Amino acid sequence: MFEQDAPPSDPTPDELAPPARQRGGPWLAAVATAALVGAFFAALSTHDFILHLDGQIHAIHCSVMPGDDVVVGQSGCKDAMLSPWSSFFRRSVWGGLPVSLAGFAVFAFVAGLALALLARRERTRHDTFFLFLASMVPATASVIWAAISATQLGAFCQVCVGMYASSAALLVLAVIAHVRAQPPAPTPRPWGRWALWFGEGVAVVAGLVVVYLALVPGERKSLDGCGRLVTTEDERGVLLRVPGEGVAPALTVIDPLCPSCRAFEERLEQSGLADELTRRVLVFPLDSSCNWMVKQSLHPGACAVSEAMLCAPERWTEVLDWAFAEQDRLLTLGAHDPKAVAEAVVTRFPELKGCVGTPRARDRVTSSLRFAVANALPVVTPQLYVDDVKVCDEDTDLGLEFTVDRMLNRRAEAGAMP
Amino acid sequence: MKILLTQLPLLLSLVVPAFMVSGWLGDAEQSLRVSEPGPKHVAVAAMAEEGYCTPELKQIVRRVAGACGLLDAQGRGCQPADAAKIVQLDPSDFNALFLPLEDRVHIIQFDNRSSELDPAARSAVDAAWSDRGGASFFFVVARASPDGARALNQKLSNARATAVLDYLEARYADPDVRKRVGLLWLGEEFAQLTADFCDWNRSRAGEECDTTQINRSAFIAWIDCNI
Repeated sequence: MFEQDAPPSDPTPDELAPPARQRGGPWLAAVATAALVGAFFAALSTHDFILHLDGQIHAIHCSVMPGDDVVVGQSGCKDAMLSPWSSFFRRSVWGGLPVSLAGFAVFAFVAGLALALLARRERTRHDTFFLFLASMVPATASVIWAAISATQLGAFCQVCVGMYASSAALLVLAVIAHVRAQPPAPTPRPWGRWALWFGEGVAVVAGLVVVYLALVPGERKSLDGCGRLVTTEDERGVLLRVPGEGVAPALTVIDPLCPSCRAFEERLEQSGLADELTRRVLVFPLDSSCNWMVKQSLHPGACAVSEAMLCAPERWTEVLDWAFAEQDRLLTLGAHDPKAVAEAVVTRFPELKGCVGTPRARDRVTSSLRFAVANALPVVTPQLYVDDVKVCDEDTDLGLEFTVDRMLNRRAEAGAMP
Repeated sequence: MKILLTQLPLLLSLVVPAFMVSGWLGDAEQSLRVSEPGPKHVAVAAMAEEGYCTPELKQIVRRVAGACGLLDAQGRGCQPADAAKIVQLDPSDFNALFLPLEDRVHIIQFDNRSSELDPAARSAVDAAWSDRGGASFFFVVARASPDGARALNQKLSNARATAVLDYLEARYADPDVRKRVGLLWLGEEFAQLTADFCDWNRSRAGEECDTTQINRSAFIAWIDCNI
């Protein structure tokens, strides 16, 4: 009462400021925009991932530049998508649950939250603080996955970089929106509202995951395999043993200069499945200089590297690791002069000089190829056989863990496992 | 109404992505349903079949392989037989069949009345054997020059063919030696080589060559015919 009767005084700076709803509004709009851009990239990545669930070869969005937007075949983007880091629970779900799906949900939620705050009549730093916390989620995930890309994959997927950049922008804008927001009244922190938003955020992510798991294709004819080995007897001793003892016998068919084989071997190692298999490797160079089944060399120089592997049965993994590491250079060398690849091999492994290029080494490669003939193998690499059953090509990338895990389980159920 | 307005963006943040994802998954399911597992239009590993594999050449290879017990489970053991009966071709036609194999053939040369492989001959056998590729049979066609008695030349050409086989067996622990090597010995009386063959890949490349020397030989090659 007393205050009502008091004479009017000069307005304070706070009273001159715009009402709470307007303060920080443009920054909230910017936050929503950054989140929507992140959601766009995450959606693009999720779409590419889901597209590959049919096991077929598809183009992949590898750039956001107009006219340069899709790539077919091997690329850093494809390597990233096919790597075990692109999804969770790969042994339980064919392909796993894509990380980008969670990203899509989080970005969408942050965008929705920013827009919801924009629509509120009153908002304070209590509200923007939660927005800031929510923005920390994609930012933290981006740091983790960027580190994985740099250290584990050695390649950055450009769409993923779009997500990382969006996350960074989102975080910066959320901080600015928070700083520019109306300071809160001296009231207790709104734990209830925060808990509600947190629950809604969890519900958005969980809801999208449930939708995904409910609708992800389940029935696959390919899980029964795509044929069997006719004979596994290695009369000529050309199958190379991979160190280690797993529970199930397996055979991989590779070409040392085939980029898909390199990616496949990396996936197999990263998946942890390699430890569960007793693996032998059949060298199958797609190089017409030694392989009569190939009319035009796909990987010129692969015969020389194969000879080196078969020349050094105790060191073949070193030769293969080197060939994979130097694959791009060797392929370029081989395209100009396949003999240069042989020279590169003996320069790196001088002890093989007396073997590579000799009739005996050529004969070993021929024997390896004839093992493929005896089994009527498809002229393609890589191939994986578990318990003599061929893993269908469409199951050797995204579905590798799920398919092999299922084969191992069947083996265990059949009592073959000790 | 106010609550709906503030909750609508959050509701949309679930509904819109869920709608999009369910549509994409439906498309993937549809695509998966119509696709058949396994390789599409992928060649299958097979033995080589080159253009020179005429029916006549295949027939000869098959007859020799049969005579050597390579086509059944009996194992090797070429029977002495009249080469002309096995080949059933005019001698010039027989040699003409091998003309397209010029890059494949190695001619192993021997000394007079000898079936011993010299170092150059052994290297040539190694080179020929390692050039196996996807070939089905390794053909050894041994001859003798017309010097000396006919019967002796029969034996000599037999010994020359056998010398190549023995060397392969000793050098390579390869089951293909027993399963794939077909021997044919022609003596002096059938399909003698002309001097034109001196220009082919022979073990004594730097040495003088005439019709006598070129026929003291074994003509060896992998044959890229799917028998």
